[in-house]
Order: sequence, then structure tokens, then C-alpha cells
Amino acid sequence: MLELEQWKKELKQLNQQYAKIRELPPEERSEFGRKLNAQKQQILAKIKAVQLDDAEPAVEPIDISAPCAPNEPIPRIARGTRHPLMVELQNVMQIYQEMGFDVMESRQLDDEFHMFESLNFPPGHPARDGYDTFRTEEGFIPPAHTSTMQHRILKRYRAHLEEGGQISVVVPGRVFRNEDADATHEHTFYQCEGVFVSKDATMGQMLGVLKHFFEAYYGQQLRIKTQPGYFPFTEPSCELLIEKPAALGGKGGDWLEMLGCGMIHPNVLKMAGIDPKEHHGFAWGGGIDRLAMLKYGLVDVRYFESAKLSFLEEF
Amino acid sequence: MKISLNKIKQYAKIPPEVSDQALVDLIGSRLVEVEEVIDLAPAYQNIFIVKVMKAAPIEGTHLHLCEIDAGAQNANFDQLENGLVQVVCGAPNVRAGMLAVWIAPGAIVPETYGGENFKIGARKLCGYMSNGMLAGADELGFSDEHKAIAEIDPSEARPGDSFAEVFGLNDIILDVENKSLTHRPDCFGLIGFAREVAGILGQKFDEPEIYRSLEVKLQNPEKLKLAVKIEDTKLCPRYSCAVFDLQEQKPSKYLTKQVIFLNKAGMRAISPMVDLTNILMLETGQPLHAFDYDKLVTVGGGSNAQIIVRAAEEGERLQLLDGKTIECTPDDILITSDNVPVALAGAMGGKNTEIDASTKRVVLESATFSLYHLRKTQMAHGIFSEAITRFTKGQPAAQALAVLKAALDEMGAKAIAVIDEYPQPEPKITVETDLKAINGLLGTEYSLKIVVDTLENVGFEVKIDGKMASKAIQDLSDEFAPQNTVPPQSEARGSQKAEIEVLSPLWRTDIHIEEDIIEEVGRLLGYDNIVPDLPKRPFLEAKIDPILKLKDQLRNILSDKLDMHEVLTYSFVSRRLLQQVEQNPEESYKIINSISPELQCFRQQIVPSLLSKVRENLKAGYHDFAFYELNQVTSRKLGLSDDGVPEMQDHLGIVMLADFYHLKAKVLEMLKAELGVKVEYNVLAPGSKIAQEYPYLEPGRAIEVRVNGCSAGACGEVEKSVRRSLKITEMITAAELNLPIILDAPIIKKHDIVVSRYPAVERDLTLRVGADAPFGRFYERINQVMQAEPETIFKLEPLSIYQAEADSATKNLSFRLKFSDLRKTLAPDEISGIMERIIKEIRLAGAEVI
Repeated sequence: MLELEQWKKELKQLNQQYAKIRELPPEERSEFGRKLNAQKQQILAKIKAVQLDDAEPAVEPIDISAPCAPNEPIPRIARGTRHPLMVELQNVMQIYQEMGFDVMESRQLDDEFHMFESLNFPPGHPARDGYDTFRTEEGFIPPAHTSTMQHRILKRYRAHLEEGGQISVVVPGRVFRNEDADATHEHTFYQCEGVFVSKDATMGQMLGVLKHFFEAYYGQQLRIKTQPGYFPFTEPSCELLIEKPAALGGKGGDWLEMLGCGMIHPNVLKMAGIDPKEHHGFAWGGGIDRLAMLKYGLVDVRYFESAKLSFLEEF
Repeated sequence: MKISLNKIKQYAKIPPEVSDQALVDLIGSRLVEVEEVIDLAPAYQNIFIVKVMKAAPIEGTHLHLCEIDAGAQNANFDQLENGLVQVVCGAPNVRAGMLAVWIAPGAIVPETYGGENFKIGARKLCGYMSNGMLAGADELGFSDEHKAIAEIDPSEARPGDSFAEVFGLNDIILDVENKSLTHRPDCFGLIGFAREVAGILGQKFDEPEIYRSLEVKLQNPEKLKLAVKIEDTKLCPRYSCAVFDLQEQKPSKYLTKQVIFLNKAGMRAISPMVDLTNILMLETGQPLHAFDYDKLVTVGGGSNAQIIVRAAEEGERLQLLDGKTIECTPDDILITSDNVPVALAGAMGGKNTEIDASTKRVVLESATFSLYHLRKTQMAHGIFSEAITRFTKGQPAAQALAVLKAALDEMGAKAIAVIDEYPQPEPKITVETDLKAINGLLGTEYSLKIVVDTLENVGFEVKIDGKMASKAIQDLSDEFAPQNTVPPQSEARGSQKAEIEVLSPLWRTDIHIEEDIIEEVGRLLGYDNIVPDLPKRPFLEAKIDPILKLKDQLRNILSDKLDMHEVLTYSFVSRRLLQQVEQNPEESYKIINSISPELQCFRQQIVPSLLSKVRENLKAGYHDFAFYELNQVTSRKLGLSDDGVPEMQDHLGIVMLADFYHLKAKVLEMLKAELGVKVEYNVLAPGSKIAQEYPYLEPGRAIEVRVNGCSAGACGEVEKSVRRSLKITEMITAAELNLPIILDAPIIKKHDIVVSRYPAVERDLTLRVGADAPFGRFYERINQVMQAEPETIFKLEPLSIYQAEADSATKNLSFRLKFSDLRKTLAPDEISGIMERIIKEIRLAGAEVI
């Protein structure tokens, strides 16, 4: 209020100055008038601003249930999504990397040698049938497991091993099986392979590494158990089970089969030029789809490769 | 494979403290994955053996009114005055005096157990009260034929006995996963399975008669002519057979324990002889096959009684027992009578030598064949019998003759001719190891004694430093005993170096190397008893493949910042799709055994897969979306990598429901602003080589994207004809980018980042230019002027492009300029100076400022 009085007073004084125009020589009158006008406009603006401030009503209420103010655009939240399988794959890779495993991806077309021979499957062995592999005209194979990368890893890191190092690598990748798709089977899915070789690798270490991985993945302590398995490329071989974690609604006593694992067969090491008398290793491979299915309680694996936005929007 | 727990208990002594559940758990953790545990007992409750005391026909029906005696059970049901129970029975074979099986009122008919669970009651039939029912073998779940009621041998049971108890149906059946026993043919016999069960319980298995010595001898009485010739011992390591006179083939009129045993294993009863050979197979894993001797000789021409085992010739035909005629492949093995096929080895006998009512003499075969060949036979002819399942695990040749002998003994048959062709007997295999190797691989501290016991329990013979194990262990402990200062675990340590020599039993065809022995020790003692440990590792960072890192970065940008959905689609696409997007299917690697024509070609790019998913999403009500996929692609054009496999490329594909400019904005934002690589782009000229790489893009409405001077892909509008063939009416755009090119591009580092302390000036500018004039010309001019201004930082932002009509001669381009001086607040005359310099330059470029 005081401010307003002050401006009004100034305006009164200014108005009085207009009378002086007549006293000035004609050539100065217009310049003088313009200056006065400019000053007057400034004062009027100040007065208006002060009056407006005074006239401001109380704070307008907001409708907290509304998405926007009336006549305003609705704020748009970016709705891009990552594929749930890729999210799980990333989680898995990150844990293994933090545990000390290098990460590299598997290839999506490979050959008989990497699929079978380098993994100690004798030619024509019935165990090969169990993998239901696809084949191209040239005899290439879209791999049926990420183990196709074992031989490459062993060879690639062999020098490192010979220098006294260890091999510790995980390999995520897309794999293929010639089976009809239904709610629980897909011909295309994702796996993650792990390979560890050192001078003194033991089965106990294998169980320790896998137990730790699942504990990190589910963020809780877990019990593990095994059941014997058969893979030509590991010996001993087994399947690893974990007690259903609380995050998945586990109440104790339920077991989930998570992956196949075992001590790398000496022939597999030999074929990659590693002396099985000097070095031991273990390897494992498990499905990523299953992790995602369990996590989100999905009942149909076929959604993953469907590119249905109605499915993907849920993630 | 179905395993009866009762049968296992018959061979292996299960300590009473081990419950059935504990036993099943142990089997699951140390022998084989148990897929299902089936408790039979609930299916056979309240079913009793009864004696039919009276069976009077009910006039005008096929029914009989029966009075039955269920012994002590009578009192629990509605009794007649004479103390018996009344049942109406429709079976033709019901008669007074027989022992039958009675499903009492309130019991579930076993055949329906686990399904509709049909509970029988007391009800009136033709006006007569019928309490429960007299059951046929089918209703009890042991036959597919509905003919008669089951009759029980009076020497086996008495009225009132529990049916389940008499026939061992208070049993648990384990359905085990065959796959994890692929290498264990011995476990495909119940005896072998039981041996393992004893082993995991830490007990010495008491071998049944047949396995005490497999090296049996059978004298050939030579009362009949028969010769066997194996052409290739790789195909058939051993062929034993015996001829004998066939006793009467009349099936027992009683429901027998054998029939029920077969049923528990998932098999049906056929005839006494076949049933007996099948039971032997279930127990030992060795399948047997019977031929009619006289037919065999006749089929072969009648002169030579000679069995020749050989590889089949392509197209050779044979009618099998099931009536089907097969055409052989060279992978099949044939049993021939002097070269005329009489059986498809390991799979099925021929019709021409089938046992029938006229059969007088039988040739019983006990042989082993190459599992590799039989596996192919199985696949080629689709035969998945219990016998071939066992053969394809590689049954040990060593037991063939012993099983044949057991069969003859069981049948009480006297051989009139015996042949055992076994040219190269398999030797027992010896494997050497030591305690250090065993504990070193498992990560355990097992003692020598426990290792030796574990192996000996399941039939291995063990020698320590050349001496029999038991003696050697005694010597070792003697050696340590006097010193007394040695801690107990040193028993193990002290003998770490002791050479362990393991002689594997003849039935273990899977033992070859040290690791096989270590696996046995680890498994039988339980992997779950190994204490989890962690390997030690050096303090070095673990590396991630840069392409994986780039993909993750792209997901961050595309999903989290640019509002797109990540999808996954199959790597295989149809020929038709490739044609629809105008790609050449011949450049794709083709899958010869694809599931369907939809999944025949390995994709060359990502975009076609994404395009095939647009219509479906439009139909689902999505009209404004962008999705992308990061995945591997390849084509024949890319050639092979160093290790002789197809070169793979990681690509990014994007499909967006928007016009060219929207897609371009996102692609450039991703590459330039987010990844920070150097990008250039040219219009995709019609007919250009690069346009042919992306045939689904509309030339003239798309650009080639170049990163760091290399062609990295293209983006633009999808051709109308492609959209038409995919039935998409909306405007869609697509981008395909090659990730290795982006990965290799250096990142343009932002450096000398300066921020002005003085206020920024904002001015909007609208130009009227010719409708054909490119936007970039004016944008660049303004940019140049601003760059030339000393000590000024600026931002130039396009605001709008306005053209009144499509055929207007001019359009208006609006820009917003924001600039500030690094040294001072800009004065009005300095601002107008800059603006004037810009306007002057723009006018020179042919624009009118409005």
C-alpha cells in the first residue's frame, strides 16, 4: 500500500510538470513532452503492477485426481519398454561379471564340430538326437545349446591359463531346438553358459559358484541340491535345483530345476589343447526364459517371441 | 521308465528306518531324476478276493445272481441271511466255486482311478440288489479287453484277502527320466537299478544268481541243425540263441502276479512265453525274441538252417509282426534266414516267422546290436518299444547268454540246439586312479575305505597298490596304528598316493576313464554331501564383449529415452516374407528340417521380421508405436568366418508408425546425441546399389546412414508395394543398422564445455523461401553466421515449416535462436547487429524475412 501511495505521489508531481511545457522554447517542447510521456508510462505501469498484485486471488486449488489442469495437455510419460528376456539376461550377465566372469555372446549359426564333436559326442551317438537340432542345406546348425561356445572359449583363453591364469567366462545366447512350440516349449530360446577352468577347480567350487549366483539373483540365501544327469561333455554331470525363493512365493520344500552342470570332460579339454592332468574345469548352462517365466508368473513361453505390444507393455 | 519300488525292495535290502519318501528322494538325488511318484495303494482299497458260492442265471438276461463269500469281510457289508453277499454279475465266465475279485461297495473302480474315480455302490439291477461288482482284469486296470471277470488261482489266495496285498499292489511306481540314464544300460534292468539303490544306501548289493557269474556255458546238444553267422561284429557283437520244443501255449486262466508285474512296468500280458521273456527283459535289460524254428528254416529255403545277421540293403522289404511292411535303409540290421529277412534286429520280428498255434519248435534269440544303428532304425521306422529303448542304451554283450539260460530254466525248456556267436568277448576294463584325484576333482575329503566300499558295493573290484582292497586297507591302518600321533583324517591323507585299481563289472559298459570312477564315487556318496566352496580369483576386472555393451546402451536409449518397445522375433522367416519385402530368399541359409515353411530361412535383416508383426499389432488397437530388435543376422553373401562357420552380424532394426521425419529424428538422436558418433546421410537413390540392400525402403523417401564414413544402414519409409503385400494401410518407416560399424566409430568427445554467466537472448525468425528450397541451406547459413560471432555461444532450433497448400510456391521456415556473450550482457545494438548479419546472409541465400 505504501508503495502504491508513493507511485501516486510521483505521478501527481509528474503531471504538474506538464504545465512547464508552455515555458519552453517551441523546438524543445516535443522532446520534453516525449520524455515526460515515457516517464508517465513507466509510473502507470508500476501502479498497475502493484494494483494487480493486490487484486491476486487466493491460491487456486488443484484436482489431485486429474491428469492435468483444465485446457492443458496431459503430461505424457515415455512408455518405451525393454524385452523381459533381455532384462533377465542383463541381470544374469551383470551378476556373473561382478563375480569375475568375462561375458561374450554365442553365435546363432554354428557347425557340427562345435555343436557335438568338440563336446565329446561320438559321431552318430544317440545323445545327439536328444538335442533335436535344425540344420541348414550346408550342414550348419543353429546351436541347440550355448555349449557350442565351450571349445572356442577354451582355445581363446588357453594361453592365459598356461600363464597361470584361470578361465572364467559366461556366454549368453539364443539357441534353437526342433520341437513344436506350446505353452511350455519354444523352438527358440535363450541360455547362459558358464565355463571355469583352473589348476584346482572342484565340483565343490562349481556348487559354490552356482549357489552364490542364485543367491545374488534372488537376493536371499538359498538351499541347493542336485540330481544326477548325463551330458557327454561333463563328468560328473548333474542338474542343479534351488529351493523355490520367497520372491517366487516359495515356502520351503519346493524345488526348481535350474540348470545342467558338471566337471568338464577331459576329452573336451584335450580337444582344445588343455592338459586334463594339469587343469580341471566346470561348466553349466541354463535357460533364461525360465527365469523370466518364474519371475513374472508367465504361463505361455510363446509370448516372448510374439512381438505383441499388449504383452510387452506389461513390463 | 516305470520302476516298482516293491521290486527294488525285493532285490536290495532297504533298512526299515529309510521311509519310502526318503528312498525316493535318495534315488532322485543320486541315481536318476524321478518325474512322477505313483502310489498304487489308494487305487486298490476295499477290493477283496471272494469265492463265488452260487451263480444263478437271471431269466431273460445275460446276468447271473451271485452269492459271494468274502470271508471276514462279509460282516462289513449287506449280508444275506446265509451270511453271504449278493452281487449281480454279467460276465459269461462267472460260476460257483471260482475265486474272483470283488470291488466292494464304496471302492473306486481301479480303471477309473485318477480319472473320473468312479465309486461303486450297492444298487438294484433287474430288480436284484447288487453289492459292488465282480471285476474283470480291465476294470482292475490290467487289460484292454472287456471279456470276463478275473479268476484267481486258489493256491494264491483265500476269500477275504486283500487283493492289493496278494498281488503286491501296495506299491509305489517311480516314473524315471530315461535321458539321464542314457549311458547306463544296466539301470534299464530292475536288478541293475536295485544294485544302484543298494549302492546309494551304502550297502553291498547281494547279486542274484544270474549276475554272480555271467560267464555261463551252455552245451549244444546238436539235436537239430542250426548255424549263426555274424557278418560284421560291429553291428552285432554277440548272437546267442537256443532251440527248444514249445510246450503248450495255453494262457493261464488265472490273473497272475506276472501279468500284474508287467502292467506295473507299463506293459501288457501277451502269452506265457512272451510274458516270461518280457519279465526277464525288465529285470536284466536284455530283450529276447522268439522265432518259429520250422518257419525260419522254410523261409530260408529249407536246406540251410542258418541265421545270418547283416546290414540291410537299401529298399529291402520285410513285413513285421504288427502287419506293417517296411522298406529298409542300409542303417538297419536284419536277422535273416540264409539271407531272407526274418526280423528287423532289435526292433521287431517278421510276420514270416511268427509264433502261432501251430508252432512246435522255437528259436529264442538273446543278442546285442550296435546302438548307433538301432537308434537310426528306431527313428526311420518309428518303433519305440520297451525292447529297442533298452537296446539303444547299448546292452552289455556279456550277459546275453546268461539271460538266455535263465529264460530256458524259467520255462523248464530243454534246449535241442544252442549257438553262441561271440567272436570278440568284451574284456573287463581296469581303470587306475588315486584318492588325490578323486577328492581333488570332487572337492571332498573321502577316506580310502569309504571310496573302496562305495565301489565294491555296486560290483567293482578294487585293488590298492596291487593288493585286494580289503587287505590293503588293513595294512595301511596297521602302518599308522603304532604311531598314534596321527590325527584321524590322516588315514585319507596318508594314502592319497595309493594307486587305486578299479576293475569294472562286465555289465558296466560305461566305465572307461578315471573320471568315470570319480563320478561313481561322487554320485553314490551324494553330490549334495560336497561342501560348496568358491574358487579364488585375482583382483582383475571381468570384461564384457563390447557388442553386448553397445546393445545394452542402445536399449537404454531406445526404450528408456526414445519411447520404443523392444521385441524379439524368430531368427527364421518364411520364403514368402522375404519375397514380400523383396529380399532374395536364395541369399538366406535354408533350414532343411524346419518346423514349418514359416520358419525356413535364416533372416538376413531384422526389419522384415518386424514388418511381419505390424499388422497384428494394428489389429490389436495400437496405432502409434515404434518397436525395435537387436539380434544376429546373416546371409550367404557375408561368407564364412575364420573357423568356417557363417559370418554373423549384429543388427538393430526399428519399425515405426510415423513418417520419415519422425524416424530420422530418433535415429539421429540415438547416433549423434546419445552415442556421439559422426553421422552423415544421403538420400537413397532409386536403383542405387545401396538401395538394393534395403529393397523394402522407398527410394527417394529414405536415406543411407553413414557412420564415421562407412555405410551403417538405412532408414526411411516402407515401400507402398511392400506395405500392400503385408496388408498395412498406415504409413510405416523402418531402419536397419549394422552394429559393428557403429561400434568401430570413434566417439566425438565433447570438450571445452563453456557456459555463459550472462543472460541469453532469444529471437524467433521466420523466412519465406521457395517451396523447393531445402531447409538445410538456411539452417546452415544461420549456423555459420553464429559460429563466426566471437565469444558467443548459441543454440539454433527449428520451430516449424509451414506451407499453405501442397502446390504453394513458397513455404515459411521458423527458427528460434538463443545466444549469449561470454564476456558481458549483450546490449540492444549488439543484438540487432547479430540479427542483421544473419538476415543479410539469409537474404543472400534467397529468403525473405517476415
